[in-house]
Amino acid sequence: MTLWTKLRPYGMVAPAIIVFSLFFIYPIFYMIYLSMFDWNFVSPTKTFVGLQNFRDLLAEEDFRKVLSNTTIYTVLTVTLTTGLALLLALWLNKKSLFHGFVQGAIFSPHIISLVSISLLWSWLMDPEYGLLNWVIGLAGFDKLQWLSHPSTALVSLVMVAVWKGLGYNALVFIAGLQSIPADIYEAASLDRSKPWTTFTKLILPMLSPTIFFLVIINMIGSFQVFETIAIMTQGGPINSTNTLVYYIYEYGFRFFKIGYASAAGVILLVIVGILTIIYFKLLSNRVHYR
Amino acid sequence: MIKKFTALTLATVMTATLAACGSNGAGGNAATNSPNAEGVSAGSSDKIVIKYWYAFGGKAEEAKKHLVKEFNESQDRIEVVAEHQGNYDDLHAKVQAAFAAGNAPAVSDLEIASTGVFARSGMLEELTAFAERDSAELQLEDFNPGLMGNAYVDEKLYGLPFMRSTPILYKNVTMLKEFGLDPEGPKSWDELEQYARVLKEKGKTGMTVPADIWYYEALVAQSGGNMLSDNGKSAAFNTPEGVAPVEYWKKMVGDGLIKIPVGDEAGATADKDWANQLSAFKFGSTAGVNASLEIAKGSGFEMQTSFMPANKDYGVPTGGCQLVITANLSDEEKEAAWTFLKWMTTKENTIYQHKNVGYLPTRLSALESEDLKAHFQEFPQYKVAVDQLEYARPRPMESAYPEVTKIIREAIEKSILDPNTAPQDAMNEAAEKANKLLSK
Repeated sequence: MTLWTKLRPYGMVAPAIIVFSLFFIYPIFYMIYLSMFDWNFVSPTKTFVGLQNFRDLLAEEDFRKVLSNTTIYTVLTVTLTTGLALLLALWLNKKSLFHGFVQGAIFSPHIISLVSISLLWSWLMDPEYGLLNWVIGLAGFDKLQWLSHPSTALVSLVMVAVWKGLGYNALVFIAGLQSIPADIYEAASLDRSKPWTTFTKLILPMLSPTIFFLVIINMIGSFQVFETIAIMTQGGPINSTNTLVYYIYEYGFRFFKIGYASAAGVILLVIVGILTIIYFKLLSNRVHYR
Repeated sequence: MIKKFTALTLATVMTATLAACGSNGAGGNAATNSPNAEGVSAGSSDKIVIKYWYAFGGKAEEAKKHLVKEFNESQDRIEVVAEHQGNYDDLHAKVQAAFAAGNAPAVSDLEIASTGVFARSGMLEELTAFAERDSAELQLEDFNPGLMGNAYVDEKLYGLPFMRSTPILYKNVTMLKEFGLDPEGPKSWDELEQYARVLKEKGKTGMTVPADIWYYEALVAQSGGNMLSDNGKSAAFNTPEGVAPVEYWKKMVGDGLIKIPVGDEAGATADKDWANQLSAFKFGSTAGVNASLEIAKGSGFEMQTSFMPANKDYGVPTGGCQLVITANLSDEEKEAAWTFLKWMTTKENTIYQHKNVGYLPTRLSALESEDLKAHFQEFPQYKVAVDQLEYARPRPMESAYPEVTKIIREAIEKSILDPNTAPQDAMNEAAEKANKLLSK
């Protein structure tokens, strides 16, 4: 064996490893390091404070609010997106011009930049001049405050996320549905399986890898939610839409408390790490692998 | 076993990716990739190239671009490259990130209340020595003293007033006349309330006003209070003078006399309500005079500006931005940046930006000029902010102040939106939080 054949695999993975280390591994360790300092990123004085940032964070009422906002947002977004997408996919899983058109239409938000979407929905949801309230007014209902009231703001953001994610999720579900072999359906119909039984006993198990994949992807996407919040609400009103990543951004880049922000980042790391492991432990048992 | 291992790896990788995005994504994007990071000599000549970052689009951007172009054409040693960086918050975040990356612009706009945190972090070049050396040319004492409060941090000069403002009251005079209201008023909080009651009967809203910290600072000043204690170590906004504005707003909203939209679009909503003649008044920066005149002309109503109504007395904070030079430049770049600063703040150029945008003329000699006297004669709307400077005060510059403003804003919104929250309680709670930050 020559030296080259020994080294070749390392050479091959080197570019990926270097990029990964530089942009993911290094920042994580740097963040953990920074989380133990009181610093503003530029000042020459960087004070070591140990775990004080974490103590401050956990004592902070706003931070608990932020955690609960993020959780509510994630649960709602993931359930609604995956659930509605599955229903849509069941309906759209036919070949006709109309179904193709609907599929294209609901997929289109996925390719639009989130910034444009945020601006668009800000206008639609404007309490005074927005299209949504105009329609609601025509239908004879009371106008909603949408993003301008703490009770509706977070749900409004969930709506936007669901609207944006629905098409992509439905597309993946349709692909999953179409990969279920036709002979299983035939066997089921020979056994006179009722539609509901076919759905719960056949489609759902066969689709479970897809569902699993989408739930994980959506969950991670929801935990990362930032753009819509930065553009549409900036965490308000009264912190009702402040989520973890936006909170980190706010403290790091608006209040210049990089140590505190890093500590919040570490907590995000831990929470998502635990969640992901739980997910894999629990769900992997129920996922049907062919 | 293998499956377990894979799951764990995947979990780690996913978490890693996520967290990295969380804490560093914004910063990574913030440092923009401009080619001329620091002074790079262009071509064969010894021309020095410096970057100038500015905030806001619209009229302000047009004026800034025009001034930079004129500067570049006026001499052949220095080339200034002007780059737009969003609003003040965006600009500050980007300057900070760029500075940490050793990539900062030589010159930047800086919102006045942030001067403290920037200067104390060592991000700004002290200008005291430059100003003394060039005192004959610069004439520092010619700058309006009302605007210099935020130029100094710990008695050292860090910025030159550039596009400075105060909030003023914008009035739809046509609407007031139509309903038999004296277009000279309202001069006090009580009068504003009376006006708003008449307007409400006619199906209009008195005023649409966001619970913006800048306007709140104004109302506190009008009530004779202060935002922070004299040494800046504790909150003063939970005194009766600080609570009065919140109670006033809460009562006005409760009676349906004014509208206080909340959320990110609140400012835009206020402007739209006024422009569409749904509300008769709006508060706004003097920076909007030029644009508002155009709106009024386009919609066919007459617009006037006046002092913000008084409670115990008139009072406003100043606002806007000054020009600063970032630290760690080479001597050549420093000189180039300083030359640019001096040029941007001359009498002629402050007159130019005043007439084309509406920001305050920063120099006393500009106010004395025939040019501006004639301009004020023709458009008295521009003069109000200048006169109001008599009642103006600087904004707090404590490093923790940006965070404190967020806490205050939340308390105000809570008081107004929640009928069960008493303003005094909300402000006390906010003060308690603020004290922890300020006392550090």
